[in-house]
Amino acid sequence: MNYPTKFLSAMHKKLTFQGPGLLILLLMVSFLRAADLPERPMPPRLVNDLAGIIEPQKLAMLEAQLVAFNDTTSTQIAIVTVPTLGDFDITDFADRLAEKWGVGQKGKNNGVLIVLKPKNEEGPGRVRISVGYGLEEVITDAVTKRIIETEMIPFFRKGDYAGGLEAAVQILMQLSSGKYKAADYLKDPGNLLGGVWILIIILFIFMLLIFLGRNNYYHAGTQPGSILSTLMWMNMLGNTGQHGKWSDFSGGRGPFSSGGGFGGFGGGSFGGGGASGRW
Amino acid sequence: MKKGLIITLVIVFIILLIIFQGIGMYNSLVKSEEAVTAQWANVENVYQRRADLIPNLVNTVKGYANFEQKTLTDVIEARAKATSVQINPEKLDEASLQKFQAAQEGLSSALARLMVVVERYPDLKANQNFLELQAQLEGTENRIAVERRKFNEMAQTYNTRIRTFPRNVFASMFGFEKKAYFQAAEGAQTAPKVEF
Repeated sequence: MNYPTKFLSAMHKKLTFQGPGLLILLLMVSFLRAADLPERPMPPRLVNDLAGIIEPQKLAMLEAQLVAFNDTTSTQIAIVTVPTLGDFDITDFADRLAEKWGVGQKGKNNGVLIVLKPKNEEGPGRVRISVGYGLEEVITDAVTKRIIETEMIPFFRKGDYAGGLEAAVQILMQLSSGKYKAADYLKDPGNLLGGVWILIIILFIFMLLIFLGRNNYYHAGTQPGSILSTLMWMNMLGNTGQHGKWSDFSGGRGPFSSGGGFGGFGGGSFGGGGASGRW
Repeated sequence: MKKGLIITLVIVFIILLIIFQGIGMYNSLVKSEEAVTAQWANVENVYQRRADLIPNLVNTVKGYANFEQKTLTDVIEARAKATSVQINPEKLDEASLQKFQAAQEGLSSALARLMVVVERYPDLKANQNFLELQAQLEGTENRIAVERRKFNEMAQTYNTRIRTFPRNVFASMFGFEKKAYFQAAEGAQTAPKVEF
């Protein structure tokens, strides 16, 4: 089930000044309070604006940036905005949510989750950056605290949520980019072997071609068939090598859609690293 | 004659089935207990992390003229006491966990008092070094809360396993004991927090 907040904010616009609508809204809000943490987004997204406070084009831009970062580094930086934290403290909320969604890759635990609760009628604004186990060395608590205080909150005070998130994301990407690489997936021995194979095949073909070229002098008639079979071999072997690579690649990341979208959270774990702030 | 053979075979089969079931259960219990022990190591790690922060914190604070000596010595003493309490991870029972928790809570409250006193030193509060230590300490307190929660969850899984039928028969046979839980601090629903 999806967190019904988007629907709710749409309703809010339509029905705020109508009696029954307001009643329904209030009922839904009370239902929301009782509800647990938001469910994992389906289809998976890295930026989840459940509070409806980010303009669509900025949201798409942020999402594209973070998806690209995930594709190149396998590090997942996810953002969630919520209208309310229910009975949770922001720190507890974010750490539990990050663990529940499994932001980051399993084993590497290279996930970051930013939870933002805007300042609204319910209370002051709150923000938290939760850092996965695997990134704690490069994104320390002190750094996250400083990002929150100097990069995010000044924007948030002005109501520019996208701006603050954008600034924070830039720094977080810089900090974590050196730590993990998506290319790590390709470095396992199986693929190294694949590389050696490709080299051997190329050498083989090269020698075959030389051999054929020599033969040409004597038996010109056999040439087309041999080249064809060489090409077929090359194609087949080449394909298997490539295939192995791709299946490894997507295996590490969960379902991988060809459209370049976000493939899903990888099951990373969180131990309470990061910092929180309020304004 | 033939009938007797069949009966013997059936009995042997049943005995074998019980043995294999028993092996499976025993192994699953060992795995579950190991998970609790491993999580205990994580809990100790985060407490150690906090203890490691303290010398640095004390040094930073000490530099400020006429900072209350008593508060500082309290923190140092509480730290020494907390790090001296080590409990056997194979024996995570109520008594030893309580001892551990009491020592750590002593340090938590000494730190909380220190932070209250710090409020009176605006220079110190503006010190970059101190601010970073503060953020680290905050983060560490939160890590402690998280690891404790995870420990309780794992201990609960394990305790449920050893107490449900038919595992409880094997558990008592092989001496699997109930693990204790971390208790929330008195008067607080959540783990002790250092408020700044």
